[in-house]
Amino acid sequence: MTPARTSSLALRRRYRWLNLAVVIGSALICVMLLPMRLPGMVLLGVGPSWLLIWLVAWSVQRTSVEGAIAGFILGLVQDGLTGYFPTHTLGLTLAGFLTARIQKQRFIQEDFVSVAIIVFAMTVIAQTMMALQISAHQLIISSSPYPSLPEIWLQHQRIALSSAILSSLWAPAVYYPLSRWWAHYEQVMTPPGG
Amino acid sequence: MVVAALGMRETGGAAIYELYRWATSPFHPGPSRAAMLQSSYAQELQQRLVELESQNRSLRQVVEGDAVPLAAGTPAAVIGRSAGDWWQQIIISRGSSDGIDADDIVTGPGGLIGRVVAVSPHSSRVLLVSDPTSRVGARVSRSRATGYIRGEMGQQVVMEFFDKIPDVKVGDVVTTSAYSQLFPQDIPIGRVVDLDLSKSPAPEVTVELTSPLNIVEWVTVIPFEPKSVEIPAVDAPASQEIIPNRAAEDNLAP
Repeated sequence: MTPARTSSLALRRRYRWLNLAVVIGSALICVMLLPMRLPGMVLLGVGPSWLLIWLVAWSVQRTSVEGAIAGFILGLVQDGLTGYFPTHTLGLTLAGFLTARIQKQRFIQEDFVSVAIIVFAMTVIAQTMMALQISAHQLIISSSPYPSLPEIWLQHQRIALSSAILSSLWAPAVYYPLSRWWAHYEQVMTPPGG
Repeated sequence: MVVAALGMRETGGAAIYELYRWATSPFHPGPSRAAMLQSSYAQELQQRLVELESQNRSLRQVVEGDAVPLAAGTPAAVIGRSAGDWWQQIIISRGSSDGIDADDIVTGPGGLIGRVVAVSPHSSRVLLVSDPTSRVGARVSRSRATGYIRGEMGQQVVMEFFDKIPDVKVGDVVTTSAYSQLFPQDIPIGRVVDLDLSKSPAPEVTVELTSPLNIVEWVTVIPFEPKSVEIPAVDAPASQEIIPNRAAEDNLAP
């Protein structure tokens, strides 16, 4: 084995660890942004869905299974931060799956505007999953603490719209560094001549 | 990864909230300047209130016997808001290592704020009274008409009465009731702003919370032992006898 070959192997190993750190670190930053309400991050009392933005950035370049698994894991983490019902796992898994599907079929070119649009749509879908769960709970369980259906869907309108607007506006802040890093990572990891 | 996430879910995100508290510690509000900022008039009123409260207590003692005083509270800074949009929660800077337990009562400027639902060593999560799943036993302090309060995701909450024809009008002050199993009695909650007494099955009124939940920065956590009292049926007769001290006598062993 030539010295150049060994050094490139060592470099790749180092990059693999670095990539793991970037993935977990950036997701952790998004988790820590969730309880924060900084100026410019609140609309009608609702903040951006940071985890969903991260999930879209992750899923855009990956397969739908990878997107769904990431969505499931992030959903579990967010459930831990809030409460078990309604669960975030359903909405985020679906969002991760759909995002990967859209990109796979080449419906949309990959740029900031389309990513912002994807984030907007996925936020609405994820929040609709939450509202559906609450509605089902309200309909099935008679002693449900949740308000009546019209009130739930009125809240859904407020939450989904303001969260979608804020999330799509903040999407490039998460997406740009991550996509740059992953593009660089791919470049380093592709075998020479391949 | 999934196992780690499941663990995160089981512990109520304790690790993340610990890390969050540590990372945001430079930005926590400093020592409370509320006392310094309060006008002398407000201070005078407070002093009078303390005086009146102590008079009231001694009079009550004569009439009803010993009441259990509230335990001293732990001050805590609000360091975060709910991590999900469908919840009304706050994150505060004290946790189990400061003696805070789940089910402790959280009050702040203006009265009742909520209840601790999860604790980690240095932070805890508080379910606000404005959360849709929150229920607080309440009564109108003027007429003692009792009911319960449920949150509506905003500064206004709805109070439903047990009586068919409650004695309530706009401007009445609402406090926690002696029937509440989860809250000590007589903590101010809010003020009645709107009536809907024809509502079926139970009459309800809209109550404006006196504590500004969306801007509150400092809260006080009061330890509270849940007590077991009988809850009146919804169709209870209109003239309910409320003997506040009975409930306290029954159990509240410190």
